[in-house]
Amino acid sequence: MSDIMINAQNVMKSFGDTEVLKDISFTLEKGHVLSIIGPSGSGKSTLLRILTQLETADGGSLDLVGKPLFKNVNGKAVYESAEKRRELNLKTGLVFQNFNLFPHFSVLRNITEAQRAVLKRSKDEAESKAIDLLKKMNLEDKANSYPCELSGGQKQRVSIARALAMDPEILFFDEPTSALDPELTLEVLKVIRGLAEEKMTMVVVTHEMNFAKGSSDEALFMDGGVIVEKGNPTELFDNPKEERLRRFLNTFNS
Amino acid sequence: MGNLILQLFKGLNFSVRIFFLTLLFSLPFGFVVAKGRMSKIAPVRWFTDLYIQIMRGTPLILQLLFFYFAPFYIFHASYDRFFAVILAYVLNYSAYFAEIYRSGLQSMDKGQYEASQVLGFTKAYTFFHVILPQVFKKILPSVGNEVVTLVKDTSLASTLGIAELFRVAQTSSSRVFSTTPIFIAGVFYFIMNYVVAKFFDIVERKLDYYE
Repeated sequence: MSDIMINAQNVMKSFGDTEVLKDISFTLEKGHVLSIIGPSGSGKSTLLRILTQLETADGGSLDLVGKPLFKNVNGKAVYESAEKRRELNLKTGLVFQNFNLFPHFSVLRNITEAQRAVLKRSKDEAESKAIDLLKKMNLEDKANSYPCELSGGQKQRVSIARALAMDPEILFFDEPTSALDPELTLEVLKVIRGLAEEKMTMVVVTHEMNFAKGSSDEALFMDGGVIVEKGNPTELFDNPKEERLRRFLNTFNS
Repeated sequence: MGNLILQLFKGLNFSVRIFFLTLLFSLPFGFVVAKGRMSKIAPVRWFTDLYIQIMRGTPLILQLLFFYFAPFYIFHASYDRFFAVILAYVLNYSAYFAEIYRSGLQSMDKGQYEASQVLGFTKAYTFFHVILPQVFKKILPSVGNEVVTLVKDTSLASTLGIAELFRVAQTSSSRVFSTTPIFIAGVFYFIMNYVVAKFFDIVERKLDYYE
Protein backbone atom coordinates (compact mmCIF):
# COMPACT_ATOMS: atom_id res chain seq x y z
CA MET A 1 0.00 0.00 0.00
CA SER A 2 1.28 3.41 -0.85
CA ASP A 3 1.37 6.17 1.72
CA ILE A 4 -1.22 8.88 1.28
CA MET A 5 0.42 12.21 2.18
CA ILE A 6 -2.57 14.44 1.57
CA ASN A 7 -6.17 13.41 1.88
CA ALA A 8 -8.57 16.33 1.46
CA GLN A 9 -12.30 15.66 1.54
CA ASN A 10 -15.02 18.21 0.81
CA VAL A 11 -12.87 21.16 1.89
CA MET A 12 -14.79 24.44 1.92
CA LYS A 13 -13.84 28.03 2.54
CA SER A 14 -15.69 31.33 2.32
CA PHE A 15 -14.58 34.91 2.75
CA GLY A 16 -17.74 36.66 3.89
CA ASP A 17 -20.41 35.74 1.37
CA THR A 18 -17.93 34.62 -1.27
CA GLU A 19 -17.39 30.89 -1.50
CA VAL A 20 -13.75 30.57 -2.51
CA LEU A 21 -13.53 26.81 -2.20
CA LYS A 22 -16.52 24.55 -2.73
CA ASP A 23 -16.18 20.89 -1.98
CA ILE A 24 -12.51 20.24 -2.77
CA SER A 25 -11.46 16.57 -2.59
CA PHE A 26 -8.19 15.01 -3.68
CA THR A 27 -5.40 12.75 -2.47
CA LEU A 28 -1.67 12.73 -3.06
CA GLU A 29 0.69 9.80 -2.70
CA LYS A 30 4.13 9.92 -1.17
CA GLY A 31 6.82 10.89 -3.65
CA HIS A 32 4.37 12.33 -6.14
CA VAL A 33 4.30 15.82 -7.58
CA LEU A 34 0.93 17.49 -8.01
CA SER A 35 0.52 20.59 -10.16
CA ILE A 36 -2.47 22.82 -9.54
CA ILE A 37 -3.41 25.02 -12.46
CA GLY A 38 -6.27 27.42 -13.06
CA PRO A 39 -7.09 31.06 -13.71
CA SER A 40 -6.52 33.67 -11.02
CA GLY A 41 -9.29 33.76 -8.48
CA SER A 42 -9.97 30.05 -8.97
CA GLY A 43 -9.13 29.33 -5.32
CA LYS A 44 -5.84 27.51 -5.87
CA SER A 45 -3.82 29.82 -3.65
CA THR A 46 -6.44 29.64 -0.92
CA LEU A 47 -6.30 25.85 -1.08
CA LEU A 48 -2.52 25.98 -0.68
CA ARG A 49 -2.89 28.36 2.25
CA ILE A 50 -5.27 25.95 3.97
CA LEU A 51 -2.85 23.06 3.41
CA THR A 52 -0.05 25.12 4.99
CA GLN A 53 -2.26 26.47 7.79
CA LEU A 54 -2.07 30.11 6.75
CA GLU A 55 -5.86 30.01 6.43
CA THR A 56 -8.44 27.90 8.21
CA ALA A 57 -11.05 25.91 6.33
CA ASP A 58 -14.77 26.24 7.11
CA GLY A 59 -15.78 22.72 6.22
CA GLY A 60 -14.51 19.29 5.22
CA SER A 61 -11.60 17.22 6.47
CA LEU A 62 -7.89 17.11 5.82
CA ASP A 63 -5.22 14.54 6.68
CA LEU A 64 -1.58 15.38 6.15
CA VAL A 65 1.14 12.72 6.44
CA GLY A 66 -1.56 10.32 7.64
CA LYS A 67 -2.62 12.53 10.53
CA PRO A 68 -5.74 14.69 10.74
CA LEU A 69 -5.42 18.47 10.65
CA PHE A 70 -9.16 19.05 10.78
CA LYS A 71 -12.21 16.82 10.71
CA ASN A 72 -15.68 17.25 9.36
CA VAL A 73 -18.18 17.51 12.22
CA ASN A 74 -21.72 18.24 11.06
CA GLY A 75 -20.43 20.02 7.97
CA LYS A 76 -17.99 22.17 9.91
CA ALA A 77 -14.20 21.87 9.94
CA VAL A 78 -13.05 21.15 13.48
CA TYR A 79 -9.32 21.62 13.94
CA GLU A 80 -7.00 19.48 16.06
CA SER A 81 -5.23 20.87 19.15
CA ALA A 82 -2.60 23.58 18.76
CA GLU A 83 0.09 21.02 19.54
CA LYS A 84 -0.99 18.69 16.74
CA ARG A 85 -1.40 21.56 14.31
CA ARG A 86 2.13 22.64 15.08
CA GLU A 87 3.43 19.11 14.59
CA LEU A 88 1.90 19.06 11.11
CA ASN A 89 3.11 22.59 10.43
CA LEU A 90 6.67 21.32 10.91
CA LYS A 91 6.11 18.51 8.43
CA THR A 92 5.11 20.91 5.68
CA GLY A 93 7.14 23.61 3.95
CA LEU A 94 6.04 26.46 1.73
CA VAL A 95 7.87 28.39 -0.96
CA PHE A 96 6.24 31.74 -1.67
CA GLN A 97 5.75 33.55 -4.93
CA ASN A 98 7.65 36.59 -3.68
CA PHE A 99 10.19 34.62 -1.65
CA ASN A 100 9.62 36.32 1.72
CA LEU A 101 13.24 35.91 2.70
CA PHE A 102 14.30 37.73 5.86
CA PRO A 103 16.09 40.80 4.46
CA HIS A 104 18.05 41.53 7.63
CA PHE A 105 19.61 38.05 7.77
CA SER A 106 22.42 36.78 5.55
CA VAL A 107 21.60 33.94 3.16
CA LEU A 108 23.17 31.47 5.58
CA ARG A 109 21.19 32.77 8.53
CA ASN A 110 17.96 32.70 6.53
CA ILE A 111 18.51 28.96 6.27
CA THR A 112 19.82 28.32 9.80
CA GLU A 113 17.50 30.53 11.88
CA ALA A 114 14.49 28.21 12.00
CA GLN A 115 16.65 25.09 12.31
CA ARG A 116 18.14 26.57 15.45
CA ALA A 117 15.13 28.37 16.94
CA VAL A 118 12.49 25.77 16.10
CA LEU A 119 14.27 22.43 15.69
CA LYS A 120 16.90 23.33 18.33
CA ARG A 121 19.77 22.15 16.16
CA SER A 122 23.28 23.20 17.12
CA LYS A 123 24.95 26.04 15.24
CA ASP A 124 27.38 23.63 13.53
CA GLU A 125 24.68 21.20 12.55
CA ALA A 126 22.41 23.93 11.17
CA GLU A 127 25.25 25.55 9.25
CA SER A 128 26.54 22.36 7.70
CA LYS A 129 23.00 21.52 6.62
CA ALA A 130 22.62 25.00 5.15
CA ILE A 131 25.94 24.78 3.29
CA ASP A 132 24.97 21.39 1.84
CA LEU A 133 21.68 22.84 0.61
CA LEU A 134 23.38 25.90 -0.83
CA LYS A 135 25.75 23.62 -2.73
CA LYS A 136 22.77 21.74 -4.06
CA MET A 137 21.22 25.05 -5.15
CA ASN A 138 24.53 26.07 -6.72
CA LEU A 139 24.75 29.05 -4.38
CA GLU A 140 27.55 28.14 -2.00
CA ASP A 141 29.39 31.38 -2.77
CA LYS A 142 26.37 33.41 -1.62
CA ALA A 143 26.26 32.18 1.99
CA ASN A 144 27.36 35.53 3.38
CA SER A 145 25.40 37.71 0.97
CA TYR A 146 22.18 39.45 1.90
CA PRO A 147 18.93 38.81 0.01
CA CYS A 148 19.02 42.31 -1.53
CA GLU A 149 22.23 41.34 -3.32
CA LEU A 150 20.65 38.36 -5.10
CA SER A 151 18.71 37.99 -8.34
CA GLY A 152 15.11 36.81 -8.19
CA GLY A 153 16.06 33.31 -9.22
CA GLN A 154 18.78 33.15 -6.57
CA LYS A 155 16.35 34.44 -3.93
CA GLN A 156 13.86 31.76 -4.84
CA ARG A 157 16.52 29.05 -4.62
CA VAL A 158 17.53 30.34 -1.18
CA SER A 159 13.91 30.21 -0.11
CA ILE A 160 13.67 26.61 -1.34
CA ALA A 161 16.80 25.81 0.67
CA ARG A 162 15.28 27.53 3.70
CA ALA A 163 12.18 25.33 3.42
CA LEU A 164 14.19 22.13 2.80
CA ALA A 165 16.40 22.78 5.82
CA MET A 166 13.42 21.95 8.03
CA ASP A 167 13.18 18.46 6.46
CA PRO A 168 9.54 18.78 5.44
CA GLU A 169 7.67 15.70 4.30
CA ILE A 170 5.55 17.72 1.89
CA LEU A 171 6.77 20.84 0.13
CA PHE A 172 4.30 23.36 -1.25
CA PHE A 173 5.04 25.99 -3.89
CA ASP A 174 2.80 28.99 -4.46
CA GLU A 175 3.50 30.14 -8.02
CA PRO A 176 7.26 29.92 -7.42
CA THR A 177 8.23 31.45 -10.75
CA SER A 178 5.51 34.07 -11.25
CA ALA A 179 7.69 36.89 -9.91
CA LEU A 180 10.66 35.90 -12.07
CA ASP A 181 11.94 36.86 -15.49
CA PRO A 182 11.67 34.01 -18.03
CA GLU A 183 15.40 33.25 -18.00
CA LEU A 184 15.38 32.99 -14.21
CA THR A 185 12.29 30.80 -14.23
CA LEU A 186 14.27 27.94 -15.75
CA GLU A 187 16.89 27.78 -13.00
CA VAL A 188 14.15 27.53 -10.37
CA LEU A 189 12.16 24.92 -12.28
CA LYS A 190 15.35 22.90 -12.68
CA VAL A 191 15.72 22.79 -8.90
CA ILE A 192 12.10 21.70 -8.45
CA ARG A 193 12.56 18.99 -11.09
CA GLY A 194 15.66 17.80 -9.24
CA LEU A 195 13.61 17.48 -6.06
CA ALA A 196 10.96 15.53 -7.96
CA GLU A 197 13.64 13.06 -9.07
CA GLU A 198 14.58 12.60 -5.42
CA LYS A 199 10.94 11.68 -4.79
CA MET A 200 10.09 14.69 -2.69
CA THR A 201 6.32 14.96 -2.23
CA MET A 202 5.35 18.32 -3.69
CA VAL A 203 2.33 20.42 -4.56
CA VAL A 204 3.00 23.19 -7.04
CA VAL A 205 0.54 25.94 -7.89
CA THR A 206 1.83 27.12 -11.22
CA HIS A 207 1.24 28.94 -14.48
CA GLU A 208 4.12 27.05 -16.13
CA MET A 209 2.16 24.65 -18.28
CA ASN A 210 5.27 22.88 -19.58
CA PHE A 211 6.33 22.17 -16.04
CA ALA A 212 2.86 20.99 -15.03
CA LYS A 213 2.68 18.69 -18.03
CA GLY A 214 6.24 17.44 -18.12
CA SER A 215 7.32 17.25 -14.49
CA SER A 216 4.33 16.32 -12.39
CA ASP A 217 2.70 12.97 -11.70
CA GLU A 218 -0.74 14.45 -11.29
CA ALA A 219 -2.45 17.64 -12.32
CA LEU A 220 -5.51 19.35 -11.08
CA PHE A 221 -7.43 22.14 -12.81
CA MET A 222 -9.42 24.50 -10.61
CA ASP A 223 -11.92 27.13 -11.60
CA GLY A 224 -14.49 29.00 -9.56
CA GLY A 225 -13.57 27.21 -6.34
CA VAL A 226 -14.04 23.66 -7.61
CA ILE A 227 -11.78 21.01 -9.11
CA VAL A 228 -12.98 20.89 -12.69
CA GLU A 229 -10.69 18.13 -13.85
CA LYS A 230 -7.88 16.08 -12.36
CA GLY A 231 -5.69 13.22 -13.38
CA ASN A 232 -2.60 12.28 -15.31
CA PRO A 233 -1.02 15.50 -16.66
CA THR A 234 -0.40 14.22 -20.17
CA GLU A 235 -4.02 13.11 -20.39
CA LEU A 236 -5.23 16.39 -18.91
CA PHE A 237 -3.25 18.55 -21.33
CA ASP A 238 -3.64 16.48 -24.47
CA ASN A 239 -7.24 15.39 -24.05
CA PRO A 240 -9.02 17.88 -21.84
CA LYS A 241 -12.57 16.66 -21.27
CA GLU A 242 -14.02 19.81 -19.83
CA GLU A 243 -14.77 22.84 -21.96
CA ARG A 244 -13.49 25.20 -19.24
CA LEU A 245 -10.09 23.49 -19.18
CA ARG A 246 -9.91 23.54 -22.98
CA ARG A 247 -10.54 27.27 -23.00
CA PHE A 248 -8.01 27.82 -20.24
CA LEU A 249 -5.33 25.86 -22.08
CA ASN A 250 -6.05 27.74 -25.27
CA THR A 251 -5.17 31.03 -23.61
CA PHE A 252 -1.60 29.72 -23.27
CA ASN A 253 -1.33 28.70 -26.90
CA SER A 254 -2.45 31.98 -28.41
CA MET B 1 32.24 85.21 31.73
CA GLY B 2 33.57 82.06 33.40
CA ASN B 3 30.82 82.35 35.95
CA LEU B 4 28.22 82.70 33.22
CA ILE B 5 29.44 79.57 31.44
CA LEU B 6 29.37 77.71 34.75
CA GLN B 7 25.77 78.82 35.31
CA LEU B 8 24.80 77.73 31.83
CA PHE B 9 26.37 74.32 32.38
CA LYS B 10 24.27 73.92 35.53
CA GLY B 11 21.21 74.70 33.41
CA LEU B 12 22.42 72.28 30.78
CA ASN B 13 22.55 69.58 33.43
CA PHE B 14 18.80 69.95 33.97
CA SER B 15 18.09 70.01 30.25
CA VAL B 16 20.09 66.82 29.72
CA ARG B 17 18.30 65.13 32.62
CA ILE B 18 14.91 66.02 31.17
CA PHE B 19 16.10 64.78 27.79
CA PHE B 20 17.32 61.38 28.95
CA LEU B 21 14.52 60.71 31.43
CA THR B 22 11.93 61.51 28.74
CA LEU B 23 13.55 59.11 26.28
CA LEU B 24 14.06 56.43 28.91
CA PHE B 25 10.34 56.23 29.59
CA SER B 26 8.66 57.41 26.38
CA LEU B 27 10.56 55.15 23.96
CA PRO B 28 9.25 51.93 25.57
CA PHE B 29 5.90 53.40 26.66
CA GLY B 30 5.27 54.50 23.08
CA PHE B 31 5.21 50.82 22.17
CA VAL B 32 2.48 50.13 24.68
CA VAL B 33 0.49 53.06 23.26
CA ALA B 34 1.06 51.83 19.68
CA LYS B 35 -0.20 48.38 20.66
CA GLY B 36 -3.26 50.01 22.23
CA ARG B 37 -3.86 52.03 19.09
CA MET B 38 -3.82 48.80 17.05
CA SER B 39 -5.79 46.78 19.61
CA LYS B 40 -8.58 44.47 18.49
CA ILE B 41 -10.66 45.72 21.43
CA ALA B 42 -12.51 48.79 20.16
CA PRO B 43 -12.73 50.79 23.44
CA VAL B 44 -8.97 50.37 24.00
CA ARG B 45 -8.39 51.65 20.48
CA TRP B 46 -10.73 54.64 20.96
CA PHE B 47 -9.23 55.59 24.29
CA THR B 48 -5.66 55.38 22.96
CA ASP B 49 -6.63 57.37 19.90
CA LEU B 50 -8.19 60.10 22.04
CA TYR B 51 -5.07 60.23 24.18
CA ILE B 52 -2.83 60.57 21.12
CA GLN B 53 -5.09 63.25 19.61
CA ILE B 54 -5.01 65.32 22.81
CA MET B 55 -1.25 65.02 23.20
CA ARG B 56 -0.60 65.97 19.60
CA GLY B 57 -3.43 68.47 19.34
CA THR B 58 -2.57 70.76 22.25
CA PRO B 59 0.62 72.72 22.94
CA LEU B 60 3.23 71.01 25.09
CA ILE B 61 3.60 74.20 27.10
CA LEU B 62 -0.07 73.97 28.03
CA GLN B 63 0.30 70.30 28.96
CA LEU B 64 3.19 71.21 31.25
CA LEU B 65 1.01 73.70 33.09
CA PHE B 66 -1.83 71.20 33.24
CA PHE B 67 0.26 68.42 34.75
CA TYR B 68 1.68 70.77 37.31
CA PHE B 69 -1.51 72.55 38.38
CA ALA B 70 -4.20 69.92 37.80
CA PRO B 71 -3.39 67.81 40.89
CA PHE B 72 -3.65 70.91 43.01
CA TYR B 73 -7.04 71.96 41.69
CA ILE B 74 -8.45 68.45 41.59
CA PHE B 75 -6.95 66.83 44.70
CA HIS B 76 -5.66 69.89 46.58
CA ALA B 77 -2.30 68.25 46.57
CA SER B 78 0.76 68.93 44.54
CA TYR B 79 3.92 67.11 43.68
CA ASP B 80 7.44 67.97 42.79
CA ARG B 81 7.75 70.35 39.84
CA PHE B 82 10.42 68.26 38.18
CA PHE B 83 8.16 65.20 38.38
CA ALA B 84 5.35 67.13 36.66
CA VAL B 85 7.75 68.14 33.92
CA ILE B 86 8.94 64.57 33.28
CA LEU B 87 5.35 63.26 33.37
CA ALA B 88 4.22 65.80 30.78
CA TYR B 89 7.17 65.15 28.47
CA VAL B 90 6.87 61.37 28.72
CA LEU B 91 3.14 61.38 27.99
CA ASN B 92 3.56 63.83 25.13
CA TYR B 93 6.49 62.09 23.49
CA SER B 94 4.99 58.62 23.96
CA ALA B 95 2.09 59.74 21.76
CA TYR B 96 4.45 60.82 18.98
CA PHE B 97 6.62 57.71 19.26
CA ALA B 98 3.49 55.53 19.28
CA GLU B 99 2.43 56.90 15.91
CA ILE B 100 5.91 56.34 14.50
CA TYR B 101 5.98 52.75 15.80
CA ARG B 102 2.51 52.13 14.42
CA SER B 103 3.46 53.35 10.95
CA GLY B 104 6.54 51.11 11.08
CA LEU B 105 4.64 48.04 12.23
CA GLN B 106 1.87 48.53 9.69
CA SER B 107 4.31 48.96 6.83
CA MET B 108 5.74 45.48 7.44
CA ASP B 109 5.04 43.07 4.62
CA LYS B 110 2.65 40.37 5.84
CA GLY B 111 4.80 37.85 3.99
CA GLN B 112 7.36 38.19 6.78
CA TYR B 113 4.77 37.02 9.32
CA GLU B 114 3.64 34.21 7.01
CA ALA B 115 7.15 32.96 6.30
CA SER B 116 7.83 32.97 10.06
CA GLN B 117 4.64 31.07 10.77
CA VAL B 118 5.32 28.44 8.12
CA LEU B 119 8.84 27.91 9.49
CA GLY B 120 7.39 27.36 12.96
CA PHE B 121 8.58 30.48 14.80
CA THR B 122 6.44 31.41 17.78
CA LYS B 123 4.66 34.77 17.73
CA ALA B 124 7.10 36.23 20.24
CA TYR B 125 10.13 34.96 18.34
CA THR B 126 8.73 36.39 15.11
CA PHE B 127 8.18 39.76 16.74
CA PHE B 128 11.59 40.09 18.37
CA HIS B 129 13.78 38.50 15.71
CA VAL B 130 12.01 39.14 12.43
CA ILE B 131 9.69 42.13 12.78
CA LEU B 132 11.31 44.41 15.37
CA PRO B 133 14.78 44.62 13.76
CA GLN B 134 13.22 45.61 10.44
CA VAL B 135 10.79 48.09 12.00
CA PHE B 136 13.69 49.61 13.94
CA LYS B 137 15.55 50.34 10.72
CA LYS B 138 12.45 51.76 9.04
CA ILE B 139 11.51 54.16 11.81
CA LEU B 140 15.00 55.31 12.73
CA PRO B 141 14.90 58.57 10.69
CA SER B 142 11.50 59.55 12.13
CA VAL B 143 12.62 58.76 15.67
CA GLY B 144 15.78 60.81 15.07
CA ASN B 145 13.61 63.73 14.04
CA GLU B 146 11.56 63.53 17.24
CA VAL B 147 14.67 63.28 19.40
CA VAL B 148 16.11 66.43 17.82
CA THR B 149 12.83 68.20 18.58
CA LEU B 150 12.98 66.98 22.17
CA VAL B 151 16.36 68.64 22.70
CA LYS B 152 14.79 71.98 21.80
CA ASP B 153 11.53 71.24 23.65
CA THR B 154 13.36 70.84 26.96
CA SER B 155 13.48 74.64 26.99
CA LEU B 156 9.72 74.70 27.61
CA ALA B 157 10.33 73.38 31.13
CA SER B 158 11.30 76.96 31.96
CA THR B 159 7.56 77.69 32.09
CA LEU B 160 7.39 75.82 35.38
CA GLY B 161 10.46 77.58 36.69
CA ILE B 162 12.85 74.67 36.21
CA ALA B 163 16.33 76.11 36.04
CA GLU B 164 17.26 74.45 32.79
CA LEU B 165 19.48 75.94 30.12
CA PHE B 166 17.02 78.37 28.57
CA ARG B 167 15.75 79.68 31.90
CA VAL B 168 19.27 80.22 33.18
CA ALA B 169 20.23 82.01 29.98
CA GLN B 170 17.17 84.23 30.21
CA THR B 171 17.81 85.20 33.84
CA SER B 172 21.48 85.87 33.23
CA SER B 173 20.55 87.90 30.21
CA SER B 174 18.30 90.27 32.14
CA ARG B 175 20.84 90.49 34.97
CA VAL B 176 23.73 91.57 32.73
CA PHE B 177 21.59 93.51 30.19
CA SER B 178 22.98 91.49 27.31
CA THR B 179 21.75 88.87 24.86
CA THR B 180 25.08 87.04 25.00
CA PRO B 181 23.87 84.34 27.46
CA ILE B 182 20.90 83.54 25.20
CA PHE B 183 23.19 83.35 22.20
CA ILE B 184 25.53 80.97 24.04
CA ALA B 185 22.54 78.83 25.05
CA GLY B 186 21.63 78.65 21.38
CA VAL B 187 25.11 77.35 20.61
CA PHE B 188 24.68 74.73 23.36
CA TYR B 189 21.40 73.50 21.86
CA PHE B 190 22.98 73.40 18.44
CA ILE B 191 25.94 71.33 19.66
CA MET B 192 23.65 68.89 21.48
CA ASN B 193 21.58 68.37 18.38
CA TYR B 194 24.66 68.02 16.25
CA VAL B 195 25.73 65.13 18.50
CA VAL B 196 22.21 63.62 18.35
CA ALA B 197 22.08 63.87 14.56
CA LYS B 198 25.55 62.34 14.18
CA PHE B 199 24.57 59.52 16.53
CA PHE B 200 21.53 58.67 14.38
CA ASP B 201 23.66 58.93 11.24
CA ILE B 202 26.05 56.33 12.61
CA VAL B 203 23.29 53.94 13.63
CA GLU B 204 21.61 54.32 10.24
CA ARG B 205 24.87 53.59 8.48
CA LYS B 206 25.42 50.52 10.65
CA LEU B 207 22.07 49.18 9.43
CA ASP B 208 22.86 49.93 5.82
CA TYR B 209 24.00 46.40 5.08
CA TYR B 210 20.53 45.37 3.93
CA GLU B 211 17.55 46.86 2.15
